[in-house]
Amino acid sequence: MLADDMACNARNKYPAQVFNNENHKLNLYGDNVEVDYHGYEVTVENFLRVLTGRHEAAVPRSKRLLSDEGSHILLYMTGHGGDEFLKFQDSEELQSHDLADAVKQMKEKHRFKELLIMVDTCQAATLFSQLHSPGVLAIGSSMKGENSYSHHLDSDVGVSVVDRFTFYTLAFFEKLNMYDNASLSSLFTSYNPTLLMSTTYYRTDLYQRKLEEVSVTNFFGSVMETIHTDSAYRTTHSRKTSETKMPLQESVKHDERRQLINSNVQDQTSDTKIEDKQCPFTRRWNAFQDKLEKIERIDSLVNYGFIIMFPLLLIIMFPLLLISTWLLPTFVS
Amino acid sequence: MAILLSRRSNLLAVVVLLLCQLFLYATVSSSGSVLKQGGGEEFSEELLLKPFPDRKVLAHFHFQSRAPHSSSHGRHHHLFPKAIAQLVKKFRVKEMELSFTQGRWRYEQWGGFDPLSSNNAKPPGVELWAVFDVPQSLVDVYWRNLTHTLSGLFCASINFLESSTTYSAPELTFKPSFGNLRYGTLPREAVCTENLTPWLKLLPCRDKAGLSALMDRPSIYRGFYHSQRLRLTSSESGSDEVDSGIGLDQTLTVVLQPSSWRTGKTYSVETNIQPSWSISSIFGRNIPGKCVIAKSSNVYLQLDNGLVGELKNLERENAKYVANTFESEGFQSNHAFKISVTPDKVFEEVDNLHGKSTSVIYGFSVEKYSDSQPFDLGLTWKIPVVWSCQQAPLHASRFLMGSGNERGAIAISLEPTESSEGLPTSHIIDGRCELRVDIFQVVPWYIKVYFHTLQVFVDKQPRAMADVVDKIRVSPSKDKVSPGVMEMILKLPCGSKSAAFSLEFDKGFLHIDEYPPDANQGFDIPSALISFPSFNARMNFSEDEFLNNSPILSKFQHALQRHHHYMHSICIVFWIIAQCASEAC
Repeated sequence: MLADDMACNARNKYPAQVFNNENHKLNLYGDNVEVDYHGYEVTVENFLRVLTGRHEAAVPRSKRLLSDEGSHILLYMTGHGGDEFLKFQDSEELQSHDLADAVKQMKEKHRFKELLIMVDTCQAATLFSQLHSPGVLAIGSSMKGENSYSHHLDSDVGVSVVDRFTFYTLAFFEKLNMYDNASLSSLFTSYNPTLLMSTTYYRTDLYQRKLEEVSVTNFFGSVMETIHTDSAYRTTHSRKTSETKMPLQESVKHDERRQLINSNVQDQTSDTKIEDKQCPFTRRWNAFQDKLEKIERIDSLVNYGFIIMFPLLLIIMFPLLLISTWLLPTFVS
Repeated sequence: MAILLSRRSNLLAVVVLLLCQLFLYATVSSSGSVLKQGGGEEFSEELLLKPFPDRKVLAHFHFQSRAPHSSSHGRHHHLFPKAIAQLVKKFRVKEMELSFTQGRWRYEQWGGFDPLSSNNAKPPGVELWAVFDVPQSLVDVYWRNLTHTLSGLFCASINFLESSTTYSAPELTFKPSFGNLRYGTLPREAVCTENLTPWLKLLPCRDKAGLSALMDRPSIYRGFYHSQRLRLTSSESGSDEVDSGIGLDQTLTVVLQPSSWRTGKTYSVETNIQPSWSISSIFGRNIPGKCVIAKSSNVYLQLDNGLVGELKNLERENAKYVANTFESEGFQSNHAFKISVTPDKVFEEVDNLHGKSTSVIYGFSVEKYSDSQPFDLGLTWKIPVVWSCQQAPLHASRFLMGSGNERGAIAISLEPTESSEGLPTSHIIDGRCELRVDIFQVVPWYIKVYFHTLQVFVDKQPRAMADVVDKIRVSPSKDKVSPGVMEMILKLPCGSKSAAFSLEFDKGFLHIDEYPPDANQGFDIPSALISFPSFNARMNFSEDEFLNNSPILSKFQHALQRHHHYMHSICIVFWIIAQCASEAC
């Protein structure tokens, strides 16, 4: 929900670009941004409708929060606020008990499993003071009676481009490696009140899990390790080269795999002992099955199988063809 | 006998087996061929570049997608965007046009007569009109649902058009539709990257390949005018038209200013010369080859007839440059300008009704370019050339009169431009020469217009309405229910120097919650639409068979009979007067 059109505003010296730093290195507006609610649609009513899911029938899916009882939701609010309210559009305000009621409705309708609310306004902590639904975590940039400040002014664009709380949140994430397992408690305790010029306050009384055990990717998007392949079926590229590229965190799985292989070997040795007592057919069948299980590259086997099948077919059909062509004239004559 | 029989059965079995194999191969190959064909869907992309006399450049992208009728193809689409096909089917849309525009089309400098400005000069904000194929009583319901779906699809507040205070049903001045047309605009809607993103996602190559890879967002939104438009036509199978099915035309029109520092010219010497530009200098990128799925991918450079006439005049004056004339084949090295790429085709307009010089279009095919050898077209000016684009027959402007918070008047003034001097003889009706002008205007309900105060002035003299107005259709506004619509068909005498209309209104009283959050900016009255049906914004070219495959050029040929000339929206400022009506205040 973006209330003002900053990027394509006529006063923006850099059209279609929104920066969060005066070095202008990162364009937050990007090339593929999509904004569901903008301009006059950003109202408290629409916000509460999105949270509770109580839309009119014609509202399209892209404007609904399609969450269910297993969803983790991140709700980030910033702007001007005060004691128990957040200002919307310079004409209305969202009050803390309205937010608490909406979250209560969400919980009753099973619209989330865990919810993280981050508020970056003046007296932010008061906005979630009325919450009482389980599974909710909230952090605000300042406590009652304190202001939240902007970080720096970009004299080229002419406005302050980022607030202090947001700036230090971004700095925390930029220090992380993509596969780091940082916990939420490390995020929440990373804020320095002297640098922020306000005291961050967070509520964990409604949240069952310990913050040290919850990783930040619980809410802030996760990264799956993907291995890029050149083609759908690989016959020559060995998996070993990709394994060496795996970072340290994956070494646990490596060991597990080795253990499995060891257990297979053990099974084999035990099998050989039983082998003598079995009849030859079952012995050969078990050996075949063991060989199948050991094959790591089943796709290559299938490929080979296909490749072998066609010549086989030809070989089988060829005598039949010969016979038919030889038989036919003799039969007719 | 038994041996013969067994041989026969053996033979039969072999024959059956062979036939089965043949059948299998046949089915596999046929299904493979169907998959390869793509089911008759087509996609083509084009880009038209045109220099303007005021040192700006127009870039007009046109993407055309066609899908045959869905009953023969189920729901599989290869190139055509599924979202649009579902929209057409669900809301029974026969025709629809949706445009997002920022900036104002400057008719005086950029022209108002050519097919490009007639079709692509749009009012600022969002404009949506749609014709439905449903009974008249259901059109409003379908319109509301369509606005919601489009707002989700294009990340815009088009859902505001659902309330009856924002849309209207024109009948006279728009296309004939028997009551199934609805028209609505949002003049204050901001257009930014979030509207372009889903628009680009409807293209098969997105913005990754082909001409759409040029769309550098900061360059587009830095322009003086940008308008993205989506035009849908759907026709039932079994109709007389050649192409039944769904047709989707997506165009993006951008007017950019090539920055002189990029081309490295010094300011003092070259002040009169138009800035030289190239695709890479105005967009910051080159064209990395065509979109592989596109049937055709072309770039055109148009020099309009004003410019061509001026170049020919300059040649005649400087007779010593006869060796490299404009008409000779050395298009690349001309005395006036230089193009960096040799054109593949040259189109010259023929049979221009207005007797002036003809425009020239250079065509470049992008097929032979690729990532390693990108396409970059540049135009370098050598001598200063000054020309003017062909204007619409009349120059229209609209303004507010009066002051204060209670009442005012809207005035429309029409003045002839120089192109109206030679009016074609077809305007002579019953011995009188007349110019037909259609005016369509919608005002919100809080501008309470008094239609009986409509006054007509021709040559600054008041005239009776019946003299000038041929037909008028008025739909008075209802408070908080519907806007005020006025449609007028005028017949102005040919020799008139000016015409003006004025209409008085009262400013309605608004509750505090009916004001937008930024009420100090005022309210925008949507743009009025002026058409000149008797003029053809049409260009004929000498080579016809190639042009039928090119969407832009075929649009030039079969252009709309009427020009649409949008007037910019007026902003009215309402002072907030909050009145306490009860003691509880």
